[in-house]
Amino acid sequence: MMENLTAISSPSTQTPSSIRLWRPAAQRNLRNQWSKLLSRKTQWMSIASDGRSNATALVNAHLSQRYTPQMDFGVLKEMPGIVEKSTQKFTQKQEIWRLKLLSSYKDMVKITCHLSELLSSMRCFQKGSCSSSIVRFSNNSDDRNDMGDGGGVSVFSSWPMSHFEELAQELVDMFVLELSFKRLLMVSLLLSTNCQESSRQQADAFCWSNELYPGEFDDLTATNLISKESGQPISPGLQDPTFNTVITKTSGSLVSREVLQVYLTAWFSNLNIDMNRVEDIFRMVEWEMQVKLS
Amino acid sequence: MNVLLKRYKQKYNKVRDDMARWDQCHCRLLSQFGNAVSIIERLPMLMDSKNYGMLKCVDGINDALIGKQMVSLQRIFSSMKETMAEFLDVVLSLGKIVRDSQQQLKSGSLSPSKQQTQLRIGISPSIAMCVDGLKAIYDMHQAEYLLKSSLISAVSWESSSNDIIAIRQLLIDQPNIPKDEVQLIFNIIFPEDVC
Repeated sequence: MMENLTAISSPSTQTPSSIRLWRPAAQRNLRNQWSKLLSRKTQWMSIASDGRSNATALVNAHLSQRYTPQMDFGVLKEMPGIVEKSTQKFTQKQEIWRLKLLSSYKDMVKITCHLSELLSSMRCFQKGSCSSSIVRFSNNSDDRNDMGDGGGVSVFSSWPMSHFEELAQELVDMFVLELSFKRLLMVSLLLSTNCQESSRQQADAFCWSNELYPGEFDDLTATNLISKESGQPISPGLQDPTFNTVITKTSGSLVSREVLQVYLTAWFSNLNIDMNRVEDIFRMVEWEMQVKLS
Repeated sequence: MNVLLKRYKQKYNKVRDDMARWDQCHCRLLSQFGNAVSIIERLPMLMDSKNYGMLKCVDGINDALIGKQMVSLQRIFSSMKETMAEFLDVVLSLGKIVRDSQQQLKSGSLSPSKQQTQLRIGISPSIAMCVDGLKAIYDMHQAEYLLKSSLISAVSWESSSNDIIAIRQLLIDQPNIPKDEVQLIFNIIFPEDVC
């Protein structure tokens, strides 16, 4: 089996002595990249949870504002303009939380980009010619014959490079898919908490095909979430990104408290991230590498 | 006699530790119950597809969201079971203290006569009082354990909000462990703490 792999992935260049030099460098690189994957994962989860707090605060401020006119102010209703003033206050609060939520989302995009980038830096390529006395390695290929996988040999005890890459891919896919779903939630939340007559125009800015912040689409390109044909974000799905969803725009209409609750529940459920599987992947990798990632 | 009395008092110190452990479990159970309830209360809302707003465009969102909540609920239920096992552990430990104390009356080199067990010197409790107190505390906790475990097994994702309110109240109240009665027992055994 192993012999076969060697033959397929890299026909020439790999000699026993070059493998001997390659393996320690490849091991060091994989340990580094997987440590980064782990810390990015942790960051992602904590920012997602910050985002949840910000989203909750935004929804609360919005509901308070919405119900202010019907609120019983008791003795305070004698005060001139009390209703207008409190409404204004809640509007300001919403604005603050909206910005905070956007910044959480922006951080999530950034971290998802970093996660995607890690996928392409698993392999380890020989640098310079084989004949030079000092052999160096890097993440970029100089030589078209060098696949950077040591010809498919095991890197640590039994897994070839490709297996590490498959697991990393599986891991990153979950976060990318969830980012796409979070984007839908962002659009939904921003739209439905922004239904005042005065800001209707602003509300129109929050739609699926517009950038939520300047430069968002450039960032999303790194995660493959931008369709190459349309130049717009691909539709969010669950587990299966191929199926087609049509984003309906319901701007302006007042959504119920329950709908907002469902949005928040969907936010913190991290539907596309199977935490057990994530833990399993890291545990398997640690076992294979015989190190504790940190 | 004094030696024997001292030994019984030491048992009360162990009881105090066990009760502190009970209180910790009690707090944990209440917070676990609270988490379970917030999921249970959310479920009807999640089951109604008209509450999905813009998320309706995502195929299977309904089932996925409910499924995830159910998994979390299941996880909370199993950690509640673990808490119940710790309650049982406390009850068993209290039971052992009671058995040991009764054993000591019947056998052992210091076995007192019936009269001696009734004897009180000054404000000090009699040995009989010590033994009875231990038994009373054990009985309270055992009864409360049975109540709690039947309450917990009554909670499911289909529980109505009225049931939940009633269960929550009973869980908080711990009706089988009247705090003042427990205090009274401790006051009798450790009169020096009262004065």
